[in-house]
Formats: sequence, C-alpha cells, structure tokens
Amino acid sequence: METQENLVHQEFPGNTMIEMIKVSRSYPPDIQALSNISFSVETGEMFFLIGRSGAGKTTLLKLICNMEMPSNGLIEVAGYNINSLKGKDLALLRQRIGVAYQDFKLLNDRTVAENIAIAMEVSYKKPRAIRQRVVDLLDQLQLNSKHDLLTGELSRGEQQRVALARSVANSPRLILVDEPTGNLDATTTEKVMELLTRQNKAGATIVIATHDASIYENSNNRIMELRDGVIHSLTRGNAQ
Amino acid sequence: MNFWFAVIRQTGRNLRQTWSSQLMTLLTVSLSVLIFAFFSLIYSNMIGAGDRLSDELSLIVYLDDEPGPAMQEQLRRKIQNFDDVEAIRFISREDAYQRFADQLGEDSDVLTDMPKDFLPASIEIIPLKSLRGYNQIKLFSEYLDKLPGTEKVQYGQEWIERFYHFIRLLTIVVTLSGALLILTATFMVAYTIRLTILGRQDELELLKLVGATNNYIQTPFLIEGILQGLMGSVTGLLALFVLFQWISIRFTGPGILNLFQFDFFSPGILIFIIFASISLCSLGSYTSIRQFLKI
Ligand SMILES: Nc1ncnc2c1ncn2[C@@H]1O[C@H](COP(=O)(O)OP(=O)(O)O)[C@@H](O)[C@H]1O
Ligand SMILES: [Mg+2]
Repeated sequence: METQENLVHQEFPGNTMIEMIKVSRSYPPDIQALSNISFSVETGEMFFLIGRSGAGKTTLLKLICNMEMPSNGLIEVAGYNINSLKGKDLALLRQRIGVAYQDFKLLNDRTVAENIAIAMEVSYKKPRAIRQRVVDLLDQLQLNSKHDLLTGELSRGEQQRVALARSVANSPRLILVDEPTGNLDATTTEKVMELLTRQNKAGATIVIATHDASIYENSNNRIMELRDGVIHSLTRGNAQ
Repeated sequence: MNFWFAVIRQTGRNLRQTWSSQLMTLLTVSLSVLIFAFFSLIYSNMIGAGDRLSDELSLIVYLDDEPGPAMQEQLRRKIQNFDDVEAIRFISREDAYQRFADQLGEDSDVLTDMPKDFLPASIEIIPLKSLRGYNQIKLFSEYLDKLPGTEKVQYGQEWIERFYHFIRLLTIVVTLSGALLILTATFMVAYTIRLTILGRQDELELLKLVGATNNYIQTPFLIEGILQGLMGSVTGLLALFVLFQWISIRFTGPGILNLFQFDFFSPGILIFIIFASISLCSLGSYTSIRQFLKI
C-alpha cells in the first residue's frame, strides 16, 4: 500500500506518467465518447491530443484527472490507479496535477490574482511565495495590468490565460491543457506555448488537447489523433 | 503557511461574504440563549427559595384547651401514627404569651393588662423532609384537623399552594421554551451554513479539483458553527447579566426579591450553557456540511 507521504514527496519517479489500458467512456443514453483507448505518456513528455470537436479530447483529459470515471478500463497516473484513490490521497495527487479546463472554471467574482492563488493555497504555500509566483506568471502571459481585476470582467482570451496560469502555478508534475489557444492571437499563442515549454523543460509532463495545428506541427512531439472516440493515429510532429 | 492559517483565512472569507445572514443567526442564537437562560435563572432561584421555605415549614395546631401530660402523650402518639415527624413541640398558653411578649420587645408593656392565658395553647409540628410535597402537607393538615381538641391547623396554606402552582408552571415554561429555542438556534445555524455552501458551490467544486482535502473544505464551516455558538451564547448571557443587575438595583430594599436572595448562574453553569450552545451550533453546521457538501 502506498502511503500519502509517497504521493507528496516523491517526484513521480518512473518512466510512465500516464497509462491507459482499454479505456471506454459512455454517456447516457448511448453516447460512446471514448472506446477502447490504450496509450501511455512518458514522464517529461509533451504530448498532443488532437481531433475535431466532439472527438473525445476533453473527456480523455477529464478521465486522467479523475474528474470523471471510465466506464471500462484502467487508468494509471504516476503509477497510481487513479480511480481507486480516495479522500486525502486523491487530493494530494490532484495537487500535483494542474488542469486548464476548456471552460476555464474561474471564479468570476474573484480577482485574477486570487484565482491563480487558489491552486497554491490548497497545498499551503507561503503567502509571500504565492504573491511572487502570481506576479511572475501574469508577467509571462502579458496580464500584469489585470492583477486586481475580477476575472468576470476579462475577455475570453484573457480568461483563458488566467486558467492556464492557475494550472501551472503550483509547479505540478503533470499539466493537462484543454484548447489553450482557442481564443488567442498568434503572438499571445506564442507566449502561452513558451510558458508551457518552460514548464516542460523544468520536468513537467504536459498533455495538450487542441485542434490548432500551428502549435504542434513544427514540434517533434508525439501527436495522438482521436476520431469519434477512438485512436485514429499516433504520430510524431515533423520538426526538422 | 499551514492548515490552520488556510482554514482561518477561508472562514474569514465565508463570514465576509455572508455577514448579514451571519448577523441574523448570531442574533437568533443570542436571543435563544437569553430567553432560555432567563427562565432557567428564575426557575433555579424559585427552586432555591422553595427549599429555603420548606426548611422553615411547620404546621401549627391550635388547641381548645391546655393539654395535660397524659393528653400530650396521647396527641404525640396520634400525630406519629400518621407519619414520623422531625419534631413536635407543645406550646402552653404561658409560652405563647412569653413568645409574643419577646416579639413585641420594647412594646411589650401593651400586654401588661392582658391575662397571661389569652393566647391558645398549640402544638408546633415540623414534618419530615420527605413529607414536603404540597399534597402530603395538605393531607397531614386534614388529619391533624380531626384530632380531638383541635381548633385550627395553620401552615400558610394559600401561599404555599400558589407557590407550588407557580413552580409547576415555570417548569413547563422552561422545558418548552428550552426545546423550542434549541430547535430554532440549531436550525438557524444549519440554514445559514447551507446558504453559504449553496452560494459558493462553484468555489467548493473548484477546491476539490485543485486538490483541497476534505478537511480544508469542511473545517471552515465547522468553525463558523462553533463561532456562532460561542459568540451567541456569550452575548446572550451578557445581556442577561445586564438585565439581572438592573433588576437587582431596581428592586433593592424590602421586597420579595430580598426574601429570595436572587442569585446569578454559577461559573460552572455559565460554562455549561456556553458549551451546550457551541455543541448545538456545531451540530447544526455539521448536518449542513453532511447534507450539502457532497464530498
Ligand atoms: N457530460 C456529457 N454528457 C453527455 N455527453 C457528453 C458529455 N460530455 C461529452 N459528451 C459527448 O462526448 C463526446 C466527446 O466530447 P468531448 O470530449 O467534449 O469532445 P472534444 O473535447 O474533443 O470536443 C461528444 O459527442 C459529446 O457530446
Ligand atoms: Mg473539448
């Protein structure tokens, strides 16, 4: 039996960060969002998940962070069967996983800074460290002037970046990003990718769901394409 | 930074966001404690007064004639036939005259012209502690009334009757008000916390997603309940104390309150009331957490 201490202190050793074996997810009445998905993501990898709208990308990310349960199959994250984790163990694992949701999940009556801080507060980071990190992230995403604005008052592109900042704030070992550039122009997209690349270089495993070809076609990362809930292809980007 | 820092910060946020309903709840809890403690205070003082009163309780049987020693023995036996008693004292006419003269003190010279036997002889009976119920005293006095040579039995009938009725009424009031107020206060606390939880569903959901432990999410609500219970009861008791002081000052001098020697709660009882209030409010918040914080 793993103890909680293992979860907090170990830097998720081992080569495999995510392992899915024959995973399916269906919704009532008979929507098969994902069927028979098997693949794995290496520790430290930047992995792209592509496919048309409705292909099952968001569902796959939700399964990885245990926001939803698979109808069938096994999902392991950092060696833990994530669906059998409960209570404190699950909470501690989630602190090590940063997620930028497609619908952001920001608290619109809180300021930008407060929204980003939440992810660090739950793991009891020092207030001073939190303030420093928030300022630093906003700087990298060109949002310095928005520090004290309510997120409800921001444009969608800005909200998207705040959600991203929150997902990386606690320096998680695994970062799941859902359509991070959907509402952004080319330069801002570049800033976002720079931020994610920096996290990746620092050792974080990153999974990006997107249909924006510009962010993956010139990399040499692995790309998995979903079509109607099944794996259509698993290729590598064509960087020279 | 640690767990308690985070929990207190979160509690502060909760209170700030819902301060108006928090205030209403606090008021309800204080009022409940105030009303309940007020009746309990009166009740406990009345019981105390009743005890003191029955310590002095005695029945006096006035006799037609001065009984001789044989007659005294016979009467004593008949009285003890009904029940054992604490004491039986025969008071001759002369004794009665002497007592009366002593009570008059300096004015006793008004008696100089009176015959020494103008007062009737009597028997003073102090019943056993166990015979202190109102109905028993009444039965006893009826029995004594039928003894040969009895003229009249006296024990402050009417007064005692009223007093016992009053105590009985007070018991009902205290019990009922207590039950009602406990329910109201607990419900109000549960309701306010439910309001907070429902108003922050998004945030609580998000906290779970970013890995907040259940304790991190629950404890602030529990603290909220504890605070309501603590502050509500202390406020209520303070208000009662002020009221109590006012009554004491207002009614000093000869009067019924002096007779009863009105006391405030002892520190033990005060702590008990505060503790009970905290427990009830925590219970209220706990039920809301269980019900609405699906974790
Ligand atoms: N909660 C849900 N209830 C019912 N159907 C859902 C739910 N979530 C997703 N789906 C369906 O599952 C399929 C995959 O959705 P999704 O994973 O969001 O795709 P993508 O993110 O690739 O656009 C879609 O057909 C969608 O309608
Ligand atoms: Mg999606």
